[in-house]
Amino acid sequence: MWRDISTWTAEVAAIFRKEWRCELRTRYGLNTVGLFAFTTLVVVSIALGPAGTSEEAQPFLPVMLWLILLFAASAGLPRTFVAEEESRTAIALRLSARPSSLFIGKALFNLTLILALEVLVVPLYIGMLQVPVASVQPLVLSLLVGGYGLAIGSTLTAAMVAQTQVRGPLFAVLAFPILLPLLKFAIEATIGAGSADPVLLERSSVALKMAFLYDGTLTVAGFMLFPPIWNP
Amino acid sequence: MKNLRYWSIWLWLSATILAAFFYAPISAGFAGLDGKSPESSRIVFFHVPVAVASFFAFLAAAWWSVKYLRFRRPEDDHAGHAAVEVGTLFCILATVTGGVWAQVQWGAFWNWDPRQTSIALALLFYGAYLSLRGAIEDPETRARLASAYAALGFIVAPFLFFILPRMASFSLHPKPASAEMEPRIGMVVIAGIIGFTALFFWMHDLRRRSLALEEAEEQTLDGMA
Repeated sequence: MWRDISTWTAEVAAIFRKEWRCELRTRYGLNTVGLFAFTTLVVVSIALGPAGTSEEAQPFLPVMLWLILLFAASAGLPRTFVAEEESRTAIALRLSARPSSLFIGKALFNLTLILALEVLVVPLYIGMLQVPVASVQPLVLSLLVGGYGLAIGSTLTAAMVAQTQVRGPLFAVLAFPILLPLLKFAIEATIGAGSADPVLLERSSVALKMAFLYDGTLTVAGFMLFPPIWNP
Repeated sequence: MKNLRYWSIWLWLSATILAAFFYAPISAGFAGLDGKSPESSRIVFFHVPVAVASFFAFLAAAWWSVKYLRFRRPEDDHAGHAAVEVGTLFCILATVTGGVWAQVQWGAFWNWDPRQTSIALALLFYGAYLSLRGAIEDPETRARLASAYAALGFIVAPFLFFILPRMASFSLHPKPASAEMEPRIGMVVIAGIIGFTALFFWMHDLRRRSLALEEAEEQTLDGMA
């Protein structure tokens, strides 16, 4: 059993390394996701100005943040399985790794990409929109839990989309209904970061637990459904 | 046997519709925004049953999709596909009847009430299912991916239908458990649920068979080409 686990872990690590090696050669994902998020943030900042200073606008700012993250992810993550389908190496990948290790390896790559995106975007979002941060913990936790769900959900849908004729537009159509409940939880959790109001903090904590539960459900669903999605 | 089923559903639904107008009383608590449209409350006999039938439809779609993933029989995929198509129709009917009632009762067709949000997301999900099917030519790949997507929908459905509505700080919908219903109203609503669910399964059976015929025709044409 331990041998099985160590082989599985080695497969996950190999896929993760391979994804990053390919990514660093072209920097397609990093450039697309990063520039998309930055451009959208600039547009939002120009339109809203220092909206964080207005108490009325504050509850809407986490919505902006998560929409930017969602759309940036949907611009870059559909490519997750497309490279293998286009270069016709998907069969080699099917032979060399178990579906579960492939799923986790690719999801980990997507997760690190989203976390890198968050590290880039969130300080800019706080600075450009002058968003108040009353407590850091809910903000960091919501970014981690929301980012994880985005990565898992996107990996599952990207595996489906790669096997279809229309890839780009279909990713958004398929992924958004799955990710919208998570987005709702993540937004509520992030709202708590901007306020010291105990009611909002309590709501944020409940939303965070729900987002965590949703992540767990998506992960289990991924383990169950990825093999039939990936293997003909 | 099939004729008997058709006539049974027809008779049951006719009796339910008659009962909705002539047997069940109006609901005093739902007389419209101005209190002058008590008859509008009768829409409950159609809105609730089609909404419940659409929920059963999506449950059935998930069941057949999981069966397809397990046994890979095309007939299970046809059944799952038909359940989503007919279920989407019922879902649209539930949204429209709900919208009409919301306009009378709350003053707007759409209020982003948590249950309206849930049904909008469910419609998005099954619209995406149908788009996915339309984007794949190979029948096996189409069936496999669409079944996986429907099964995924079933896994996230509890969040849409049970958790999100309960997390909301407000809801214009009455809570099902706390709603005190006049016994005659309750009886007609239950009769409606039975009737519309039976209607769903009858329509589903027709659509499932027509999908099987369409696929057989497609294969015959491919063979001739």
